[in-house]
Amino acid sequence: MKEFLLLLRESTDLAQMTPEEMQADMQAHLQWMEELVQKGHFKAGNPLDAEGRHIRGANRLITDGPYVESKECISGFYFLLASSLEEATTIAAGCPALNSGGMVEIREVIETHAAEG
Amino acid sequence: MQQKDSQLQKLTAHLFRENAGKMAAVLSRRFGLEQLDTILDCIQDTFEAALTRWRYGNVPDNPAAWLMTVSRNKLINALKRSARMNPEEMIIEQETITQPDFVIDEQHILDSQLRLLLACCQPVISEKNQIILTLHILCGFGVPEITNALRMQQEAVKKSLTRSKALLQQQPPQQLTRTSPIDSDRLPLVLTILYLLFNEGYKTTRKTKGIDPDLCYEAVRLTRIVFETVDINREQTAALLALQFLTLSRFPARLTDAGEWLSLEEQNRDLWDQRMITEGFSYLRKATQGRQISRYHFEALISSIHCCAKMFEDTDWPTIVMLYRQLEQLNPRDVSITLNRIIAESYYSDPLLCLHELNSIPAPDQIPGFLLEAARGHLLQRAGLYTDAANAYLLAKSLALSPVDQQLLGKKIKACG
Repeated sequence: MKEFLLLLRESTDLAQMTPEEMQADMQAHLQWMEELVQKGHFKAGNPLDAEGRHIRGANRLITDGPYVESKECISGFYFLLASSLEEATTIAAGCPALNSGGMVEIREVIETHAAEG
Repeated sequence: MQQKDSQLQKLTAHLFRENAGKMAAVLSRRFGLEQLDTILDCIQDTFEAALTRWRYGNVPDNPAAWLMTVSRNKLINALKRSARMNPEEMIIEQETITQPDFVIDEQHILDSQLRLLLACCQPVISEKNQIILTLHILCGFGVPEITNALRMQQEAVKKSLTRSKALLQQQPPQQLTRTSPIDSDRLPLVLTILYLLFNEGYKTTRKTKGIDPDLCYEAVRLTRIVFETVDINREQTAALLALQFLTLSRFPARLTDAGEWLSLEEQNRDLWDQRMITEGFSYLRKATQGRQISRYHFEALISSIHCCAKMFEDTDWPTIVMLYRQLEQLNPRDVSITLNRIIAESYYSDPLLCLHELNSIPAPDQIPGFLLEAARGHLLQRAGLYTDAANAYLLAKSLALSPVDQQLLGKKIKACG
Protein backbone atom coordinates (compact mmCIF):
# COMPACT_ATOMS: atom_id res chain seq x y z
CA MET A 1 0.00 0.00 0.00
CA LYS A 2 1.20 3.47 -0.85
CA GLU A 3 0.31 6.59 1.06
CA PHE A 4 -1.31 9.60 -0.55
CA LEU A 5 -1.96 13.11 0.68
CA LEU A 6 -5.29 14.63 -0.31
CA LEU A 7 -5.50 18.38 -0.10
CA LEU A 8 -9.02 19.83 -0.09
CA ARG A 9 -9.57 23.26 -1.56
CA GLU A 10 -12.99 24.79 -1.02
CA SER A 11 -14.56 28.18 -1.42
CA THR A 12 -18.00 27.36 -0.02
CA ASP A 13 -19.50 30.27 1.81
CA LEU A 14 -20.71 28.52 4.96
CA ALA A 15 -22.64 31.59 6.09
CA GLN A 16 -25.01 31.05 3.17
CA MET A 17 -25.86 27.49 4.20
CA THR A 18 -28.90 26.56 6.29
CA PRO A 19 -28.53 24.23 9.30
CA GLU A 20 -30.17 21.41 7.34
CA GLU A 21 -27.79 21.87 4.40
CA MET A 22 -24.80 21.91 6.73
CA GLN A 23 -25.90 18.70 8.39
CA ALA A 24 -26.44 17.05 5.00
CA ASP A 25 -22.95 18.11 3.88
CA MET A 26 -21.42 16.81 7.09
CA GLN A 27 -23.21 13.48 6.85
CA ALA A 28 -22.05 13.04 3.26
CA HIS A 29 -18.45 13.52 4.40
CA LEU A 30 -18.80 11.14 7.33
CA GLN A 31 -20.42 8.55 5.09
CA TRP A 32 -17.56 8.82 2.62
CA MET A 33 -14.98 8.60 5.37
CA GLU A 34 -16.57 5.62 7.06
CA GLU A 35 -16.52 3.74 3.78
CA LEU A 36 -12.82 4.50 3.44
CA VAL A 37 -12.20 3.24 6.97
CA GLN A 38 -14.08 0.02 6.24
CA LYS A 39 -12.11 -0.63 3.07
CA GLY A 40 -8.82 0.14 4.80
CA HIS A 41 -8.06 3.26 2.76
CA PHE A 42 -8.21 5.76 5.59
CA LYS A 43 -5.14 6.72 7.57
CA ALA A 44 -5.78 10.21 8.95
CA GLY A 45 -7.53 13.46 8.21
CA ASN A 46 -8.15 16.83 9.77
CA PRO A 47 -9.56 20.26 8.97
CA LEU A 48 -7.32 23.33 8.92
CA ASP A 49 -8.23 26.61 10.56
CA ALA A 50 -9.07 29.35 8.11
CA GLU A 51 -6.68 31.76 9.77
CA GLY A 52 -2.94 31.41 9.31
CA ARG A 53 0.32 33.16 8.40
CA HIS A 54 2.65 33.20 5.44
CA ILE A 55 6.38 33.66 5.96
CA ARG A 56 8.35 34.42 2.85
CA GLY A 57 12.03 34.54 1.97
CA ALA A 58 15.25 35.22 3.77
CA ASN A 59 13.94 38.37 5.44
CA ARG A 60 11.08 36.36 6.97
CA LEU A 61 8.33 38.64 5.69
CA ILE A 62 5.18 37.68 7.60
CA THR A 63 1.73 38.23 6.11
CA ASP A 64 -1.76 37.10 7.02
CA GLY A 65 -3.14 34.34 4.94
CA PRO A 66 -4.30 32.19 3.37
CA TYR A 67 -7.40 34.02 2.28
CA VAL A 68 -10.57 32.13 2.98
CA GLU A 69 -12.47 33.62 0.07
CA SER A 70 -10.02 32.37 -2.50
CA LYS A 71 -10.37 28.98 -4.13
CA GLU A 72 -6.74 28.38 -3.31
CA CYS A 73 -7.43 28.04 0.38
CA ILE A 74 -6.79 24.55 1.75
CA SER A 75 -9.60 23.62 4.12
CA GLY A 76 -8.33 20.21 5.20
CA PHE A 77 -6.27 17.16 4.39
CA TYR A 78 -6.50 13.37 4.37
CA PHE A 79 -3.85 10.68 4.30
CA LEU A 80 -5.15 7.74 2.29
CA LEU A 81 -3.79 4.30 1.56
CA ALA A 82 -4.07 2.99 -1.98
CA SER A 83 -2.13 0.70 -4.29
CA SER A 84 -1.61 3.26 -7.04
CA LEU A 85 -2.17 6.86 -7.99
CA GLU A 86 -5.03 5.64 -10.19
CA GLU A 87 -6.76 3.98 -7.28
CA ALA A 88 -6.17 7.02 -5.06
CA THR A 89 -7.69 9.20 -7.77
CA THR A 90 -10.79 7.01 -7.97
CA ILE A 91 -11.19 7.18 -4.19
CA ALA A 92 -10.67 10.93 -4.11
CA ALA A 93 -13.27 11.41 -6.85
CA GLY A 94 -15.87 10.33 -4.28
CA CYS A 95 -15.07 13.22 -1.95
CA PRO A 96 -18.34 15.14 -1.28
CA ALA A 97 -16.49 18.48 -1.24
CA LEU A 98 -16.35 18.18 -5.03
CA ASN A 99 -20.15 18.37 -5.22
CA SER A 100 -20.11 21.96 -3.99
CA GLY A 101 -17.41 23.07 -6.37
CA GLY A 102 -14.35 22.12 -4.33
CA MET A 103 -11.03 20.87 -5.67
CA VAL A 104 -8.97 17.91 -4.52
CA GLU A 105 -5.24 17.55 -5.04
CA ILE A 106 -3.71 14.06 -4.76
CA ARG A 107 0.01 13.57 -4.10
CA GLU A 108 1.84 10.40 -3.35
CA VAL A 109 3.92 10.53 -0.20
CA ILE A 110 7.45 9.42 -1.05
CA GLU A 111 8.60 6.57 1.13
CA THR A 112 12.11 7.86 1.78
CA HIS A 113 13.50 4.61 3.10
CA ALA A 114 12.45 2.54 0.11
CA ALA A 115 14.99 1.73 -2.54
CA GLU A 116 14.68 3.78 -5.73
CA GLY A 117 12.69 1.69 -8.26
CA MET B 1 -8.83 3.99 13.61
CA GLN B 2 -11.54 1.84 15.19
CA GLN B 3 -13.00 4.79 17.07
CA LYS B 4 -13.81 6.40 13.72
CA ASP B 5 -16.61 3.87 13.23
CA SER B 6 -20.26 4.81 13.65
CA GLN B 7 -19.71 8.55 13.91
CA LEU B 8 -22.77 8.93 11.73
CA GLN B 9 -24.96 7.18 14.27
CA LYS B 10 -24.41 9.97 16.76
CA LEU B 11 -26.29 12.31 14.45
CA THR B 12 -30.04 12.17 14.54
CA ALA B 13 -32.16 13.36 11.63
CA HIS B 14 -32.52 17.15 11.62
CA LEU B 15 -30.12 17.44 14.59
CA PHE B 16 -28.91 20.86 13.49
CA ARG B 17 -32.30 22.23 12.56
CA GLU B 18 -33.91 21.08 15.77
CA ASN B 19 -31.11 22.30 17.98
CA ALA B 20 -31.07 25.68 16.26
CA GLY B 21 -34.47 26.30 17.86
CA LYS B 22 -33.42 24.93 21.24
CA MET B 23 -30.31 27.10 21.35
CA ALA B 24 -32.23 30.20 20.28
CA ALA B 25 -34.78 29.50 23.01
CA VAL B 26 -32.35 28.86 25.86
CA LEU B 27 -30.01 31.72 24.92
CA SER B 28 -32.69 34.33 24.34
CA ARG B 29 -34.31 33.41 27.65
CA ARG B 30 -31.03 33.88 29.49
CA PHE B 31 -29.59 36.86 27.61
CA GLY B 32 -32.73 38.60 26.40
CA LEU B 33 -34.62 38.87 23.14
CA GLU B 34 -32.90 42.19 22.44
CA GLN B 35 -29.79 40.11 21.68
CA LEU B 36 -31.66 37.99 19.14
CA ASP B 37 -29.55 38.99 16.13
CA THR B 38 -26.30 38.28 17.97
CA ILE B 39 -27.72 35.00 19.25
CA LEU B 40 -28.71 33.86 15.75
CA ASP B 41 -25.26 34.82 14.42
CA CYS B 42 -23.57 32.82 17.15
CA ILE B 43 -25.75 29.80 16.39
CA GLN B 44 -24.79 29.99 12.72
CA ASP B 45 -21.09 30.25 13.75
CA THR B 46 -21.53 27.22 15.96
CA PHE B 47 -22.90 25.13 13.09
CA GLU B 48 -20.01 26.24 10.89
CA ALA B 49 -17.55 25.15 13.58
CA ALA B 50 -19.34 21.82 13.97
CA LEU B 51 -19.41 21.24 10.21
CA THR B 52 -15.69 21.96 9.86
CA ARG B 53 -14.70 19.66 12.71
CA TRP B 54 -17.22 16.86 12.65
CA ARG B 55 -17.01 16.01 9.00
CA TYR B 56 -13.49 14.73 9.59
CA GLY B 57 -14.93 12.18 11.95
CA ASN B 58 -14.75 13.87 15.33
CA VAL B 59 -18.40 13.97 16.32
CA PRO B 60 -18.69 14.48 20.10
CA ASP B 61 -20.59 11.90 22.14
CA ASN B 62 -23.37 14.34 22.90
CA PRO B 63 -23.63 16.55 19.81
CA ALA B 64 -26.62 18.52 21.11
CA ALA B 65 -24.80 19.44 24.34
CA TRP B 66 -21.72 20.43 22.34
CA LEU B 67 -23.78 22.74 20.13
CA MET B 68 -25.50 24.31 23.12
CA THR B 69 -22.26 24.93 25.01
CA VAL B 70 -20.31 26.25 22.06
CA SER B 71 -23.08 28.64 21.01
CA ARG B 72 -23.41 29.85 24.60
CA ASN B 73 -19.66 30.41 24.86
CA LYS B 74 -19.60 32.22 21.53
CA LEU B 75 -22.44 34.44 22.67
CA ILE B 76 -20.78 35.28 25.99
CA ASN B 77 -17.60 36.22 24.16
CA ALA B 78 -19.52 38.33 21.65
CA LEU B 79 -21.43 40.13 24.41
CA LYS B 80 -18.24 40.79 26.36
CA ARG B 81 -16.58 42.19 23.24
CA SER B 82 -19.51 44.48 22.61
CA ALA B 83 -19.60 45.51 26.30
CA ARG B 84 -15.96 46.55 26.08
CA MET B 85 -16.78 48.73 23.10
CA ASN B 86 -19.96 50.14 24.64
CA PRO B 87 -19.35 50.21 28.40
CA GLU B 88 -22.93 51.26 29.13
CA GLU B 89 -24.23 47.95 27.83
CA MET B 90 -25.12 45.02 29.99
CA ILE B 91 -22.12 43.47 31.66
CA ILE B 92 -22.15 39.73 31.86
CA GLU B 93 -19.06 39.12 33.94
CA GLN B 94 -20.89 36.57 36.03
CA GLU B 95 -21.29 34.31 33.02
CA THR B 96 -18.44 31.96 32.48
CA ILE B 97 -17.44 29.77 29.62
CA THR B 98 -18.24 26.11 30.25
CA GLN B 99 -16.89 22.81 29.05
CA PRO B 100 -18.64 21.00 26.20
CA ASP B 101 -20.08 18.33 28.48
CA PHE B 102 -22.19 20.95 30.23
CA VAL B 103 -25.73 19.60 29.84
CA ILE B 104 -28.82 21.75 30.23
CA ASP B 105 -31.85 20.17 31.82
CA GLU B 106 -34.32 18.92 29.18
CA GLN B 107 -37.28 20.49 30.97
CA HIS B 108 -35.56 23.88 30.93
CA ILE B 109 -35.03 23.55 27.18
CA LEU B 110 -38.69 22.59 26.62
CA ASP B 111 -39.87 25.46 28.76
CA SER B 112 -37.60 27.92 26.96
CA GLN B 113 -38.94 26.78 23.60
CA LEU B 114 -42.48 27.42 24.79
CA ARG B 115 -41.53 30.92 25.90
CA LEU B 116 -39.91 31.73 22.58
CA LEU B 117 -42.90 30.27 20.73
CA LEU B 118 -45.17 32.55 22.75
CA ALA B 119 -42.99 35.50 21.89
CA CYS B 120 -43.24 34.63 18.18
CA CYS B 121 -47.01 34.21 18.28
CA GLN B 122 -48.23 37.64 19.17
CA PRO B 123 -50.76 39.86 17.53
CA VAL B 124 -48.32 42.69 16.70
CA ILE B 125 -47.00 40.30 14.07
CA SER B 126 -49.35 39.10 11.30
CA GLU B 127 -50.26 35.40 11.23
CA LYS B 128 -48.29 34.77 8.06
CA ASN B 129 -45.25 36.48 9.54
CA GLN B 130 -45.63 34.55 12.79
CA ILE B 131 -45.38 31.33 10.79
CA ILE B 132 -42.28 32.56 8.96
CA LEU B 133 -40.66 33.72 12.20
CA THR B 134 -41.47 30.48 14.04
CA LEU B 135 -40.08 28.40 11.19
CA HIS B 136 -36.91 30.44 11.22
CA ILE B 137 -36.01 30.79 14.86
CA LEU B 138 -37.74 27.78 16.47
CA CYS B 139 -37.50 25.26 13.66
CA GLY B 140 -34.13 26.29 12.25
CA PHE B 141 -35.42 26.73 8.69
CA GLY B 142 -33.17 28.87 6.53
CA VAL B 143 -34.52 31.46 4.09
CA PRO B 144 -34.37 29.12 1.06
CA GLU B 145 -36.25 26.43 2.97
CA ILE B 146 -39.00 28.82 4.07
CA THR B 147 -39.17 30.17 0.51
CA ASN B 148 -39.78 26.63 -0.72
CA ALA B 149 -42.15 25.54 1.98
CA LEU B 150 -44.41 28.58 1.76
CA ARG B 151 -43.94 29.21 -1.97
CA MET B 152 -42.80 32.76 -1.40
CA GLN B 153 -40.16 34.96 -2.96
CA GLN B 154 -36.78 34.91 -1.22
CA GLU B 155 -36.82 38.68 -0.82
CA ALA B 156 -40.27 38.64 0.76
CA VAL B 157 -39.16 36.07 3.33
CA LYS B 158 -36.06 38.10 4.19
CA LYS B 159 -38.10 41.27 4.55
CA SER B 160 -40.65 39.56 6.75
CA LEU B 161 -37.93 38.16 9.01
CA THR B 162 -36.18 41.49 9.37
CA ARG B 163 -39.42 43.20 10.32
CA SER B 164 -40.56 40.49 12.74
CA LYS B 165 -37.18 40.21 14.45
CA ALA B 166 -37.14 43.97 14.99
CA LEU B 167 -40.59 43.71 16.59
CA LEU B 168 -39.44 40.83 18.80
CA GLN B 169 -36.40 42.73 19.98
CA GLN B 170 -38.62 45.60 21.09
CA GLN B 171 -40.70 43.37 23.33
CA PRO B 172 -40.58 43.94 27.08
CA PRO B 173 -37.59 42.10 28.51
CA GLN B 174 -39.63 40.05 31.00
CA GLN B 175 -41.28 38.30 28.04
CA LEU B 176 -39.13 35.21 28.36
CA THR B 177 -38.47 35.15 32.08
CA ARG B 178 -41.74 35.62 33.97
CA THR B 179 -42.77 32.73 36.20
CA SER B 180 -45.89 31.60 34.43
CA PRO B 181 -45.31 32.44 30.80
CA ILE B 182 -48.76 31.66 29.48
CA ASP B 183 -52.36 32.48 30.28
CA SER B 184 -55.57 31.28 28.68
CA ASP B 185 -55.71 34.34 26.40
CA ARG B 186 -52.41 33.58 24.75
CA LEU B 187 -52.79 29.85 24.22
CA PRO B 188 -55.37 30.07 21.38
CA LEU B 189 -53.00 32.34 19.42
CA VAL B 190 -50.23 29.79 19.69
CA LEU B 191 -52.49 26.88 18.77
CA THR B 192 -53.80 28.80 15.75
CA ILE B 193 -50.27 29.26 14.44
CA LEU B 194 -49.44 25.59 15.00
CA TYR B 195 -52.69 24.63 13.23
CA LEU B 196 -51.85 26.90 10.28
CA LEU B 197 -48.25 25.70 10.17
CA PHE B 198 -49.50 22.12 9.96
CA ASN B 199 -51.99 23.03 7.23
CA GLU B 200 -49.26 24.70 5.20
CA GLY B 201 -47.63 21.28 5.05
CA TYR B 202 -50.41 19.65 3.07
CA LYS B 203 -51.91 22.54 1.21
CA THR B 204 -52.04 21.63 -2.42
CA THR B 205 -53.01 24.89 -3.98
CA ARG B 206 -49.58 26.35 -4.53
CA LYS B 207 -47.34 23.34 -4.60
CA THR B 208 -46.03 21.04 -7.27
CA LYS B 209 -45.71 18.30 -4.71
CA GLY B 210 -48.80 17.72 -2.64
CA ILE B 211 -47.34 17.30 0.80
CA ASP B 212 -44.48 18.84 2.70
CA PRO B 213 -44.27 16.50 5.72
CA ASP B 214 -41.40 18.50 7.24
CA LEU B 215 -43.71 21.39 8.05
CA CYS B 216 -46.25 18.99 9.51
CA TYR B 217 -43.64 17.28 11.68
CA GLU B 218 -42.37 20.63 12.95
CA ALA B 219 -45.92 21.63 13.84
CA VAL B 220 -46.36 18.35 15.73
CA ARG B 221 -43.04 18.81 17.54
CA LEU B 222 -44.00 22.30 18.70
CA THR B 223 -47.55 21.30 19.63
CA ARG B 224 -46.11 18.52 21.79
CA ILE B 225 -43.92 21.07 23.55
CA VAL B 226 -47.04 23.08 24.33
CA PHE B 227 -48.82 19.95 25.53
CA GLU B 228 -45.94 19.00 27.80
CA THR B 229 -45.31 22.42 29.28
CA VAL B 230 -48.68 24.14 29.52
CA ASP B 231 -51.16 23.11 32.21
CA ILE B 232 -54.13 25.12 31.04
CA ASN B 233 -56.53 24.12 28.26
CA ARG B 234 -54.73 20.83 27.80
CA GLU B 235 -57.79 19.25 26.16
CA GLN B 236 -57.57 21.77 23.36
CA THR B 237 -53.88 21.12 22.76
CA ALA B 238 -54.53 17.36 22.91
CA ALA B 239 -57.31 17.77 20.33
CA LEU B 240 -54.93 19.61 17.99
CA LEU B 241 -52.36 16.83 18.41
CA ALA B 242 -55.03 14.21 17.73
CA LEU B 243 -56.02 16.04 14.56
CA GLN B 244 -52.38 16.28 13.45
CA PHE B 245 -51.62 12.60 14.03
CA LEU B 246 -54.82 11.36 12.40
CA THR B 247 -54.16 13.56 9.37
CA LEU B 248 -50.52 12.43 9.19
CA SER B 249 -51.60 8.79 9.26
CA ARG B 250 -53.12 9.13 5.78
CA PHE B 251 -50.08 10.74 4.13
CA PRO B 252 -48.55 7.46 2.88
CA ALA B 253 -51.74 6.84 0.88
CA ARG B 254 -52.37 10.34 -0.43
CA LEU B 255 -49.94 10.47 -3.31
CA THR B 256 -49.17 7.85 -5.94
CA ASP B 257 -45.54 7.13 -6.80
CA ALA B 258 -46.04 9.33 -9.84
CA GLY B 259 -47.02 12.21 -7.55
CA GLU B 260 -50.72 12.07 -8.31
CA TRP B 261 -53.11 13.16 -5.62
CA LEU B 262 -55.59 10.54 -4.40
CA SER B 263 -58.93 11.39 -2.85
CA LEU B 264 -60.14 9.65 0.31
CA GLU B 265 -62.27 7.44 -1.91
CA GLU B 266 -59.30 6.22 -3.97
CA GLN B 267 -56.76 5.75 -1.20
CA ASN B 268 -55.47 2.31 -0.32
CA ARG B 269 -56.40 2.27 3.35
CA ASP B 270 -53.88 -0.48 4.09
CA LEU B 271 -51.21 2.17 3.63
CA TRP B 272 -52.57 4.34 6.44
CA ASP B 273 -50.03 4.50 9.25
CA GLN B 274 -51.50 2.55 12.16
CA ARG B 275 -48.97 3.92 14.67
CA MET B 276 -50.06 7.45 13.86
CA ILE B 277 -53.72 6.43 14.16
CA THR B 278 -53.07 4.90 17.59
CA GLU B 279 -51.21 8.01 18.68
CA GLY B 280 -54.06 10.16 17.35
CA PHE B 281 -56.67 8.20 19.27
CA SER B 282 -54.65 8.35 22.47
CA TYR B 283 -54.58 12.17 22.24
CA LEU B 284 -58.24 12.17 21.31
CA ARG B 285 -59.01 10.37 24.59
CA LYS B 286 -57.01 12.98 26.49
CA ALA B 287 -58.85 15.69 24.58
CA THR B 288 -62.26 14.45 25.56
CA GLN B 289 -61.67 14.04 29.29
CA GLY B 290 -62.78 17.52 30.21
CA ARG B 291 -65.68 19.74 29.28
CA GLN B 292 -63.79 21.83 26.79
CA ILE B 293 -64.61 21.66 23.15
CA SER B 294 -62.93 23.47 20.28
CA ARG B 295 -62.71 23.42 16.51
CA TYR B 296 -59.76 21.05 16.88
CA HIS B 297 -62.03 18.60 18.72
CA PHE B 298 -64.55 18.52 15.89
CA GLU B 299 -61.93 18.28 13.19
CA ALA B 300 -60.10 15.51 15.04
CA LEU B 301 -63.37 13.64 15.53
CA ILE B 302 -64.20 13.91 11.83
CA SER B 303 -60.74 12.65 11.00
CA SER B 304 -61.12 9.78 13.45
CA ILE B 305 -64.35 8.64 11.77
CA HIS B 306 -62.52 8.37 8.46
CA CYS B 307 -59.76 6.42 10.17
CA CYS B 308 -62.34 3.95 11.54
CA ALA B 309 -63.89 3.13 8.18
CA LYS B 310 -62.27 0.05 6.64
CA MET B 311 -63.59 1.05 3.24
CA PHE B 312 -64.81 4.37 1.84
CA GLU B 313 -68.32 2.88 1.59
CA ASP B 314 -68.30 2.21 5.36
CA THR B 315 -67.88 5.91 6.23
CA ASP B 316 -70.37 7.15 8.82
CA TRP B 317 -71.44 10.24 6.85
CA PRO B 318 -74.40 11.31 9.04
CA THR B 319 -72.11 11.64 12.07
CA ILE B 320 -69.55 13.56 10.02
CA VAL B 321 -72.29 15.92 8.83
CA MET B 322 -73.44 16.40 12.42
CA LEU B 323 -69.88 17.30 13.45
CA TYR B 324 -69.50 19.72 10.54
CA ARG B 325 -72.75 21.41 11.59
CA GLN B 326 -71.34 21.96 15.06
CA LEU B 327 -68.16 23.32 13.52
CA GLU B 328 -70.26 25.70 11.45
CA GLN B 329 -71.95 26.99 14.59
CA LEU B 330 -68.57 27.53 16.19
CA ASN B 331 -67.15 29.33 13.12
CA PRO B 332 -70.17 30.82 11.34
CA ARG B 333 -68.03 32.90 9.01
CA ASP B 334 -65.88 30.06 7.69
CA VAL B 335 -67.78 28.95 4.58
CA SER B 336 -65.22 26.28 3.70
CA ILE B 337 -66.71 24.24 6.56
CA THR B 338 -70.13 24.55 4.94
CA LEU B 339 -68.65 23.38 1.65
CA ASN B 340 -67.17 20.31 3.32
CA ARG B 341 -70.44 19.57 5.08
CA ILE B 342 -72.39 19.75 1.82
CA ILE B 343 -69.98 17.32 0.16
CA ALA B 344 -70.28 14.92 3.11
CA GLU B 345 -74.05 15.18 2.95
CA SER B 346 -74.09 14.29 -0.75
CA TYR B 347 -72.96 10.74 0.06
CA TYR B 348 -76.27 9.84 1.61
CA SER B 349 -78.83 12.44 0.50
CA ASP B 350 -80.17 13.95 -2.71
CA PRO B 351 -77.20 15.52 -4.54
CA LEU B 352 -79.45 18.06 -6.29
CA LEU B 353 -80.66 19.41 -2.95
CA CYS B 354 -77.01 19.65 -1.93
CA LEU B 355 -76.27 21.52 -5.16
CA HIS B 356 -79.07 23.93 -4.35
CA GLU B 357 -77.51 24.56 -0.98
CA LEU B 358 -74.06 24.99 -2.52
CA ASN B 359 -75.48 27.66 -4.85
CA SER B 360 -76.85 29.58 -1.89
CA ILE B 361 -73.63 29.67 0.17
CA PRO B 362 -73.15 33.24 1.36
CA ALA B 363 -69.92 34.90 0.23
CA PRO B 364 -68.72 32.01 -1.95
CA ASP B 365 -65.78 34.17 -3.05
CA GLN B 366 -64.09 33.21 0.22
CA ILE B 367 -63.60 29.74 -1.23
CA PRO B 368 -60.94 29.29 -3.93
CA GLY B 369 -62.79 29.18 -7.27
CA PHE B 370 -61.47 25.82 -8.33
CA LEU B 371 -62.67 24.18 -5.09
CA LEU B 372 -66.16 25.58 -5.53
CA GLU B 373 -66.38 24.38 -9.14
CA ALA B 374 -64.92 20.99 -8.24
CA ALA B 375 -67.59 20.64 -5.55
CA ARG B 376 -70.25 21.56 -8.08
CA GLY B 377 -68.86 18.96 -10.46
CA HIS B 378 -68.89 16.38 -7.70
CA LEU B 379 -72.56 17.01 -6.88
CA LEU B 380 -73.59 16.95 -10.55
CA GLN B 381 -71.67 13.72 -11.04
CA ARG B 382 -73.44 12.13 -8.09
CA ALA B 383 -76.75 13.23 -9.58
CA GLY B 384 -75.84 11.44 -12.81
CA LEU B 385 -75.61 14.66 -14.85
CA TYR B 386 -72.25 13.74 -16.36
CA THR B 387 -72.04 16.36 -19.10
CA ASP B 388 -72.71 19.19 -16.66
CA ALA B 389 -70.31 17.61 -14.18
CA ALA B 390 -67.55 17.43 -16.79
CA ASN B 391 -68.08 21.10 -17.64
CA ALA B 392 -67.82 22.10 -13.97
CA TYR B 393 -64.63 20.05 -13.57
CA LEU B 394 -63.27 21.64 -16.74
CA LEU B 395 -63.88 25.09 -15.31
CA ALA B 396 -62.33 24.00 -12.00
CA LYS B 397 -59.26 22.73 -13.81
CA SER B 398 -58.80 26.03 -15.58
CA LEU B 399 -58.92 27.80 -12.21
CA ALA B 400 -56.63 25.39 -10.34
CA LEU B 401 -53.07 26.58 -9.86
CA SER B 402 -51.26 23.47 -8.72
CA PRO B 403 -50.38 20.66 -11.16
CA VAL B 404 -51.49 18.16 -8.51
CA ASP B 405 -55.02 19.60 -8.47
CA GLN B 406 -55.10 19.89 -12.25
CA GLN B 407 -54.20 16.21 -12.59
CA LEU B 408 -56.87 15.17 -10.11
CA LEU B 409 -59.50 17.20 -11.97
CA GLY B 410 -58.35 15.79 -15.30
CA LYS B 411 -59.06 12.33 -13.95
CA LYS B 412 -62.53 13.38 -12.85
CA ILE B 413 -63.31 14.84 -16.28
CA LYS B 414 -62.37 11.51 -17.85
CA ALA B 415 -64.57 9.63 -15.39
CA CYS B 416 -67.56 11.69 -16.56
CA GLY B 417 -66.89 11.09 -20.27
